[in-house]
Amino acid sequence: MPSSSVNLLQGTLDLLILKSLVLEPMHGLAISRRIEQITAGTFQVKPGSLFPALHRMEEAGWLASSWGESENNRRAKYYQLTKAGRRQLEVEAAQWSRISVAMARALEAS
Amino acid sequence: MRRLGPLWRNLFRKKQVDADLDAEVRSYLDLLQDEKAHRGSDAHSARREALLELGGIEQVKESVRDARAGRLLESMAADLRHAWRTFRKIPLTAAVIAGSLGVGIGVNTTVFSWIQAVIFEPLPGVARSGDLQRVEPRADTGSYPGVSWPDYQDLQRSLKSFRDVFAVRMVPFYVGETGRTERITGQMVSGNYFSVLGLSPAQGRLIQPEDGARVGAAPVVVISYEFWQQRFRGSPDVVGHNLRVNDRPLTIIGVAPPRFQGTDLGLNVSLWTPATLAPLLLTGTTELADRSQRGYNVMGWLAPEASRAAAESELDRTIRQLGQLYPETNGRMRGEVMPFWRPPNGPQRMLARSLGLMQGLMFLLLLAVCGNAANLMLARSSRRQREIGIRLAIGAGPGRIIRLVLTENLLLALLGAGLGWLVAIWGTDALRVVPMISTFPIRFQTRVGLSGSVFTMALGLLCGLIFGVSPAVALARLDPQSVLHGLSGAGFRSRLGRALIGTQAALAIVVLISAALFFRSFRETQNADPGFVRDGLLLANYNLTGRGGDGNAARRFAANLLERVRALPGVQGAAIAGSVPLDIHGMPLMSLQVKGHAPAEAAPDRGLMNTVTPGYFATMKIPFRAGRDFTDLNDSDAPAQAIVNEEFVRRFVRSSQAIGRAVTARGRSYLIVGVVRNSVYEAFGEPAIPMLYRSYRDAPRLGGEIHVRARPGSETLLGSDLRRIARELDPTLDLYDIRTMNEHIDRNAFLRSIPARIFAVLGPLLLALAAIGIYAVVASSVAQRTGEIAVRLALGATARHVIGQIVRETLRVVSVGALIGWLASLLVDLHLAGGVIYLPVFVGVPAILFMVAALACWLPAYRAGRTDPMIALRQE
Repeated sequence: MPSSSVNLLQGTLDLLILKSLVLEPMHGLAISRRIEQITAGTFQVKPGSLFPALHRMEEAGWLASSWGESENNRRAKYYQLTKAGRRQLEVEAAQWSRISVAMARALEAS
Repeated sequence: MRRLGPLWRNLFRKKQVDADLDAEVRSYLDLLQDEKAHRGSDAHSARREALLELGGIEQVKESVRDARAGRLLESMAADLRHAWRTFRKIPLTAAVIAGSLGVGIGVNTTVFSWIQAVIFEPLPGVARSGDLQRVEPRADTGSYPGVSWPDYQDLQRSLKSFRDVFAVRMVPFYVGETGRTERITGQMVSGNYFSVLGLSPAQGRLIQPEDGARVGAAPVVVISYEFWQQRFRGSPDVVGHNLRVNDRPLTIIGVAPPRFQGTDLGLNVSLWTPATLAPLLLTGTTELADRSQRGYNVMGWLAPEASRAAAESELDRTIRQLGQLYPETNGRMRGEVMPFWRPPNGPQRMLARSLGLMQGLMFLLLLAVCGNAANLMLARSSRRQREIGIRLAIGAGPGRIIRLVLTENLLLALLGAGLGWLVAIWGTDALRVVPMISTFPIRFQTRVGLSGSVFTMALGLLCGLIFGVSPAVALARLDPQSVLHGLSGAGFRSRLGRALIGTQAALAIVVLISAALFFRSFRETQNADPGFVRDGLLLANYNLTGRGGDGNAARRFAANLLERVRALPGVQGAAIAGSVPLDIHGMPLMSLQVKGHAPAEAAPDRGLMNTVTPGYFATMKIPFRAGRDFTDLNDSDAPAQAIVNEEFVRRFVRSSQAIGRAVTARGRSYLIVGVVRNSVYEAFGEPAIPMLYRSYRDAPRLGGEIHVRARPGSETLLGSDLRRIARELDPTLDLYDIRTMNEHIDRNAFLRSIPARIFAVLGPLLLALAAIGIYAVVASSVAQRTGEIAVRLALGATARHVIGQIVRETLRVVSVGALIGWLASLLVDLHLAGGVIYLPVFVGVPAILFMVAALACWLPAYRAGRTDPMIALRQE
């Protein structure tokens, strides 16, 4: 049981991170706030999960990072989607819709 | 593939990657703090809230590191570096652990290499020799008399559960021109010998079935590779050469493959001839037709689908059928199938059994070593609780701690295994160098080899796990809070430490007592009473084969020889006998009928037989119980005579008068003229065997063993006189194998002495290991209790009192363990020695152990007693 739920959660987090970076490069805190915002507060990503995920995805080649200036003039590390990351987003999004449709059907069935 | 870049970066540009991560997390924290401040918190509380939400900078960084590529490799490398630094801090402890493991693993591998050489690969150069099976008839007396040539031919035809069986018999050959011969060990074999063994020649060809098919075939011989190298310098044109064996020219047809040394465990054989050459090489022999001459060993591999049980029941059936056909010679026999390495009799059997026992003891010894290592590591780890506590507090998980500590221990264990490998190579070599007494060529091709090396490493890893797991787990389960507050968890380790001391005392007692018993039983065979007087006897072998003489000539030669020998100054008696007791190949077993005694079943009674000249019993100092010695060798009137032993009378004559009764053996009737005391014939500790001595006068032989009795110590000086006398009688005659009776017995006890020698080294070693173990535990527990001891000293306890208490506590634990070990070895002893308890061993060994244990715990206790309370308390 633990492994499947972790996988699901990890996959979910990856998808949310990829999705939140579609429009523009962002630093860690912004990504976390963005996810909160687009899921209406359902997911609150703690740094303890966010950073390992970001680094893992960067090592996988889906994200690229660079240092930049934040809106209030602080140095921050910005992440942006790579080409591979965009492809991954499509794959994961498609997969996720299949799952959610299937789950919805399963729950509606009587 | 894509992860290779990051892997490279993570492993080799670690500093930069780490700095980058640190900056990233800190910037996140700053941004978070800005956010909080923006929402109205003051700077101070904004910082605090941000930190709370982050959940610890180090923890976040660690969780990122865990997610990175190459994490495992990187942390292993770090662990190894750390382990190495740890050892540098405790060089003595590390050296003691690695050293004692090295010795422990080394002796295990040494014994393993012997087991390998005796059990798994008993025949060097032969594939799957560990599966070779012996086909053995068993007489109802419990002895294994061997197989006769006609029986072998029947067995070979009828046994279906074997792929094929061959027959082989060890024969000493006299090689060289008449007068300049040398005694060489050979084997007479059935024609299929080499093909069943699956061997191919190094030169020429090997003996083939046609060579052994019929009597009178071409006289051929195959020589061993070693013999070829030594005698012919490996010359390739040796094939076709003649070799004079027992004064007959044999044609060398080939050379056996390099490592092959025959099929007698541990015996180095140089020549092989077809069995059908027996009439040519052994003048006057009837062994090819006589079913009572059971000199052959029969062996083979089981057929693919046959089980050993099935083969045995088939063999049993066949042997019983032979028994019905030839009740005279084959009656009352059963059949048994046993692995080659477990021969039914002789010193080789003893060797295989004791090697198994020794390997068991060596494992126990290694366990003791592991116990020591665990003790020392535990002692260390109690001092390391603070370090580990800090590691746990700053975010290392228990799994990480276990890995760290296990890495240290496995590294130590592998160092030990490396040392052990060297010890094993040395030990295997040292034991292989066998003292060669006279011409009995013993050779074991032991070597450490690949399987030995794998065995070493596997043992090392196993040891590392055994002694590493408990300290690792104990440390990982520490509560960082209490450790950092100075509440050291002494509980776990003093309990474990005590259990280890107790176990080790038990192990030490078991191994030491077994060692002592082994040694004792070996000494005992050296000093046991064989029923004759062994000091002051000189033996020499002669052989008149090939001189064309008949029985009369042999008898005349014997009479002349004995007359001259007896006339030598210092000689108290002399005689000639066909066999010497305690010889490696035993004495012939005969069926016989005693007049007036009806055997219990349809088959005849049986006894061992020896052929001796008058004066034999006086020379051997075997006392007469009734009657008198044989009549003179030149007496041609008296009927054929026999002398029997007490066991013979007890079994076959019962209470009535034995003297004057007729016995029939080998189709000839003998009159019993004397009864002598039982003595040892085949092995020390054998049950009493009925024995029948024939007179040399009635059955003269071409060869024999000269026995000369002199004052103990002076017998060795007679050898050259014997040689001279033999030359005087026949200028071309050589004497072989001149040795004292004691040498003869020692030679046969040689295989028995291997384990005894190993034990002689091991006993003290084990005691030292036990002492190290006890010292380690006591020293560490004292170190831990410095504070307590200091308080007690400060409150007025005397040093004497403190020392006494520590020693008492330790000895109590030692005695519990020792008691358990003592009881266990009592069981071993009852099993081994059959109920005899050797008091000196069972009292002496524990006494020695206690003395050593007391010394080992007194040393650290003494140091503790001299603690200066002020200094110790200030350190707390």
